[in-house]
Amino acid sequence: MRKDNEFDVIIVGGGITGAGTARDCALRGLKVLLVERHDIATGATGRNHGLLHSGARYAVTDKESATECIEENMILRRIARHCVDETDGFFITLPEDDLAYQAKFVESCTAAGIRAEIIDPKEAIRLEPSVNPDLIGAVRVPDGSVDPFRLCSANMLDAKLHGAKILVYSEVTEFIKEGDTIRGVRVRDNRSGEISEYYAPVTVNAAGIWGHQIAAMAGANIGMFPAKGALLIFAHRVNSIVINRCRKPANADILVPGDTVCVIGTTSTKVPFEECDNMHVTPDEVDLLLTEGAKLAPALATTRILRAYAGVRPLVSADNDPSGRNISRGIVCLDHETRDGIKGFVSITGGKLMTYRLMGEQAADLVCKKLNINKKCETATLPLPGSEGGKTEEVSKKIWAVPSAPQKAAAGRAGTRAEVIPLKNPLDQALVCECEEVSSGEVRYALEHLEVDNLVDLRRRTRVGMGTCQGGLCACRAAGMIAEARGCAEKAEADLKGFMNERWKGMYPIAWGNTLREAEYTQWVYNYVIGLNEQ
Amino acid sequence: MTLQEYTSSAHNFEECMKCTVCTAYCPVVPANPKYPGPKQAGPDGERLRLKDPFFFEETLKYCLNCKRCEVACPSGVKVADIIQAARIRYSKSKPKLRDRILASTDFMGTLARPFAPVVNGMTGLGATKAVLDATMAIDKHRTFPKYSFKGFESWFRKNAPDQTRFPEQVSYFHGCYVNYNFPQLGKDFVKVMNAAGIGVNLLDKEKCCGVAMISNGMIDGAKKHAAHNVAVLGKAVDAGRKILTTSSTCTFTMRDEYPELLGIDNSKVRDEITLATRYLYERISSGEVKLKFKKDYHAKIAYHTPCHMEKLGWGVYSVELLKMIPGVEFTLLDSNCCGIAGTYGFKKENYEVSQAIGKPLFDQIARVAPDFVACDCETCKWQIEMSTGLQVKNPISILAEALDI
Amino acid sequence: MEFDVVIIGGGLAGLTAGLALQEKGKRTAIVSAGQNALHFSSGAFGLLDAEDPLQAAKELPEHHPYARIGAENLPKYTEAAKALFGKAGIALNGEPLKNGWRLTPQGGLKRAWMTLPEVDIFPDKEAIKGHKVLIVNLLGYLDFNTSFLALGLEKQGCSCRIETLRLPEMERLRENPSEMRSVNIARVMDSAWIKVAAEIKTLVKDEDWIILPLVFGLKDATVPDRIREAVPAKVLFVGTMPPSVPGMRTQMQLKKAYEALGGTFLMGDEAISAKTEGSRVLSVSTRNLGEVKAAEFVLATGSYFSKGIASDMNHVFEPIFGADVLLDEGRSAWYDPDFFSPQAFLSYGVATDGQFRVLKDQAPMDNLHAIGSVLGGARSLELGCGAGVAILTALSVAETI
Repeated sequence: MRKDNEFDVIIVGGGITGAGTARDCALRGLKVLLVERHDIATGATGRNHGLLHSGARYAVTDKESATECIEENMILRRIARHCVDETDGFFITLPEDDLAYQAKFVESCTAAGIRAEIIDPKEAIRLEPSVNPDLIGAVRVPDGSVDPFRLCSANMLDAKLHGAKILVYSEVTEFIKEGDTIRGVRVRDNRSGEISEYYAPVTVNAAGIWGHQIAAMAGANIGMFPAKGALLIFAHRVNSIVINRCRKPANADILVPGDTVCVIGTTSTKVPFEECDNMHVTPDEVDLLLTEGAKLAPALATTRILRAYAGVRPLVSADNDPSGRNISRGIVCLDHETRDGIKGFVSITGGKLMTYRLMGEQAADLVCKKLNINKKCETATLPLPGSEGGKTEEVSKKIWAVPSAPQKAAAGRAGTRAEVIPLKNPLDQALVCECEEVSSGEVRYALEHLEVDNLVDLRRRTRVGMGTCQGGLCACRAAGMIAEARGCAEKAEADLKGFMNERWKGMYPIAWGNTLREAEYTQWVYNYVIGLNEQ
Repeated sequence: MTLQEYTSSAHNFEECMKCTVCTAYCPVVPANPKYPGPKQAGPDGERLRLKDPFFFEETLKYCLNCKRCEVACPSGVKVADIIQAARIRYSKSKPKLRDRILASTDFMGTLARPFAPVVNGMTGLGATKAVLDATMAIDKHRTFPKYSFKGFESWFRKNAPDQTRFPEQVSYFHGCYVNYNFPQLGKDFVKVMNAAGIGVNLLDKEKCCGVAMISNGMIDGAKKHAAHNVAVLGKAVDAGRKILTTSSTCTFTMRDEYPELLGIDNSKVRDEITLATRYLYERISSGEVKLKFKKDYHAKIAYHTPCHMEKLGWGVYSVELLKMIPGVEFTLLDSNCCGIAGTYGFKKENYEVSQAIGKPLFDQIARVAPDFVACDCETCKWQIEMSTGLQVKNPISILAEALDI
Repeated sequence: MEFDVVIIGGGLAGLTAGLALQEKGKRTAIVSAGQNALHFSSGAFGLLDAEDPLQAAKELPEHHPYARIGAENLPKYTEAAKALFGKAGIALNGEPLKNGWRLTPQGGLKRAWMTLPEVDIFPDKEAIKGHKVLIVNLLGYLDFNTSFLALGLEKQGCSCRIETLRLPEMERLRENPSEMRSVNIARVMDSAWIKVAAEIKTLVKDEDWIILPLVFGLKDATVPDRIREAVPAKVLFVGTMPPSVPGMRTQMQLKKAYEALGGTFLMGDEAISAKTEGSRVLSVSTRNLGEVKAAEFVLATGSYFSKGIASDMNHVFEPIFGADVLLDEGRSAWYDPDFFSPQAFLSYGVATDGQFRVLKDQAPMDNLHAIGSVLGGARSLELGCGAGVAILTALSVAETI
């Protein structure tokens, strides 16, 4: 009989890679522990475009990544239907670009197995009216958008449903070593400060850019390259088809419609490791994103901006590329036993959101090999929880026949899992977040079942506070619900202050126009009417 | 390209700060919980609909399009326009026969008028009302406005005094109501204008402004009417004439709904369309026109500002004109929708909501106890007359009876 | 149209100026681009967040509106303010020359100068200590956080019990997922308050304080007092998230009083541009009325939210007259990364001379005065002087015109 703190595999990192690895291992019958020092999807997972890459972007420069992308793209459309929006994408050529690149691009896409169809610029404008009307060329590819929070939590949930234990706010402080073998991890609960020990024959480092430090802690060196990418979120979907520039990858050349918003990005600059925990978007980055973004869709110049944010790509360095643009987005799966002589330790890194499942598969294959377990990977065929149905309309009508607005919204986020969310009576349907139509039932369900510690966690799972007013109307309501659910008003009040600051952090880099209007209003309400600043 | 050069977004719904003021002034929200409310139906819903048209709610049809949300909004969001535009774009429900009949004000007028005594008799009968209620879902409490046997247009052609004797000429958009139901208002208008030394022309065949078609989802028909009207109004403008009206709703529809909702360019004529009361007030205050009133006129008048008048912001002209009449004891009623909203209140399913919306207004009228109510809108007139038993008169008619000619 | 004075902005400042000017016999119009910040009122007016506000006002820098009025003149206007509201039928609580405290929705205390009739003002902090409190909310109303209120009060040495009422009168409202708001509840409560009072009577044990959300007295201003009379303990009403019921009612009362004095309130109209000649404004052009002439103009257009001042990526400006604006150069100086610290952008606004005449290209406009939160340098949120600046600058300017 194994003890409670003994597992087959310990996964460090609650981003999409860790979640995907946990799901894969759990589906293969392994007893899995996943530890994450903050919340799920707090690193690069929650700080990217949410682009369901077709791979076209890499077709010319990195064929291997491109092929991986298109294969995974097709898989995600099947297994993660409620996280994916099948929008398609354009690669447009503008007058200042070289139209000759288009032929090479299409040829490379075709070689990588990516459907790439040249369409008439007029047709492109008809299909996507927001596209820059000056375009001289357009290629249609199977891009899409994917909600990274939803994808990550669906993977976590499935892992849990298959017996995995998920510990958020649990930070690895030390590896438990026996000679050159990693036997387990010492973990600090970042909320209580409590230290626990967990044991497993294999530990997987899936900590993204922070995997650099985790590996170092285990005595290995992975030369990682922290490449910061800044992005801007606009207040509504300007485009319904992804728009890319048909040229060598550069700054701010992808505009992705995702849920109620659209996102322009990115920049790429190397940053020191110590900055990875606290990314700020600079005024220069904002200016660049706007200037370049408006070339893809001129409407962006006059669209309200909701926030600015930045993430760090966990690239593994190969050369001295100063921006990291040319580093392969390929998967790096390291067996530290053969590489560094450290037994029981695996790192899975590099890669990208798109290839998380494949990364999980490769890591799980290696784990199984080490454990002498012969089980096939099933993650490419089994749908994620919530993804067993079709479009929001079908899913919600199947559950409620005549769905109300809050029920539709819940089905849009949770897919078929909306069935288990309490949404029948008017009290449950009462909206907490009006911008994103998040109901009381959804909030209560998340608080009870989805490992929510605070308002920011709640936001990741429900979109509370992600809309136009950035929490102005709903933060206070949601904080009240947390206070009641947890029976601790003191913590909820501190949490509310933290949340308002977290929202403001994304707003002040774009603090002009409507952002200043909204900020003034929110300041009045929270700091004067409610008097939160005095508490 | 100048980035973010506008202090405001070019996408009007993004001006919304989520301050909730619109919800506090919506007359439907307190009366009908099925209506999502202006904020949710308007700017909030717009983002969701742009994501997936499945998020369109048919309950947006409960919006009265009274524009009170827009008048109240501190951010300049065209809330009601957003809601109506969403209905036009996404609604899958087709107008019912009942809605088509209610909306086709001029077609119905043309058909009914020759048989006016018969039609009036029939629509006024309890039995007919019960049939309309049961078969057409037109509420039995409603009485159709009576049709006039002789239309205003034919009266004007035959009986109007010679208008060419006046050096100054205006065109009159009389609207369906004046033509088919209440020619007296048109006659009053001619009388007042002539007294002011201004001659009246009719347009080269006007059509219904289309407001009822818009609210009943008959957008193609409304567009045709709008295009026709813009063309005939254009002829009057070319001839150097202002276009005057006696209906705040027709005025508002032709000036603002044509471009905002129907996408019909009215830029050539928009600024030339004005309410008769505004025109008169301006001419009087500039000293160009002087009106002579009876010395013995006396009336206690309560003025109701129709929703579309509130949106136009022109209530002040009617109010100031009425205050000019010696012997008038004047009360400006609180700004409150009467609940009829054109054809909305005629529908059986809306009757109770309609009356609940208007109740504060009816109560205030009862408290003020005027001799009659003044108002620039014909559908408000039906509602207030039905709900209070008091007569409702257009300010132009009041001027006509107070003038000493 | 033509008036003696055109006031641009129908909020607290504009309405105060309108009332004062109508009383002086001026023929005025107020152009109000939609509703205003009264709709987000806490139910209390702030003069200055200081023990002795009139003394502290003497220390303010010269571009603060109070310094422009002159600290020695403030008492006269604070007294006049209370009288002016009284004439409009609004009996403010509090003493014009002193500060008191109001209870915040977080159970804390914030300085208050005067409060709307249903909101209590406490002379000192001790007054809220040591009570037994029954906090009552209405089922499903999310804009009143009972647990935060209780937390704050418990920190003050009170003991709290929270109860939630389920009234059948509110079930219809509940069918709408988004409209369980203060104002909509208040419409129900204009008659259903009797049930609330009756329910409270059965709930109250040994509590000496009952706290209710401010969802009473929208149309019928007497409702809060009637509840007080019906309940055997002291009843306090505490602010909610917007919209503010007492604020909305106050706006309606002030507007009505203004119209009763013969003022013309142009709701939903907006001043788009102005015609000037040298240092004189000849007219403003409004969206609905076109050109409106006047001898004097008052700019009471509010701050960012109300679009009295606007900003783009690199500028903060005044959109109607292109008036001079006090601000810092470079947008990274506009904000503090901590949401709860004073924000520089909140201090920006129109520059004026000592008589509140608006400066344009550093020269005063003869017949254009600015009042209220459009003024630069007030730092009203930080100093707790928003309502005070609105009312006192309005009265001061109304006197000059």
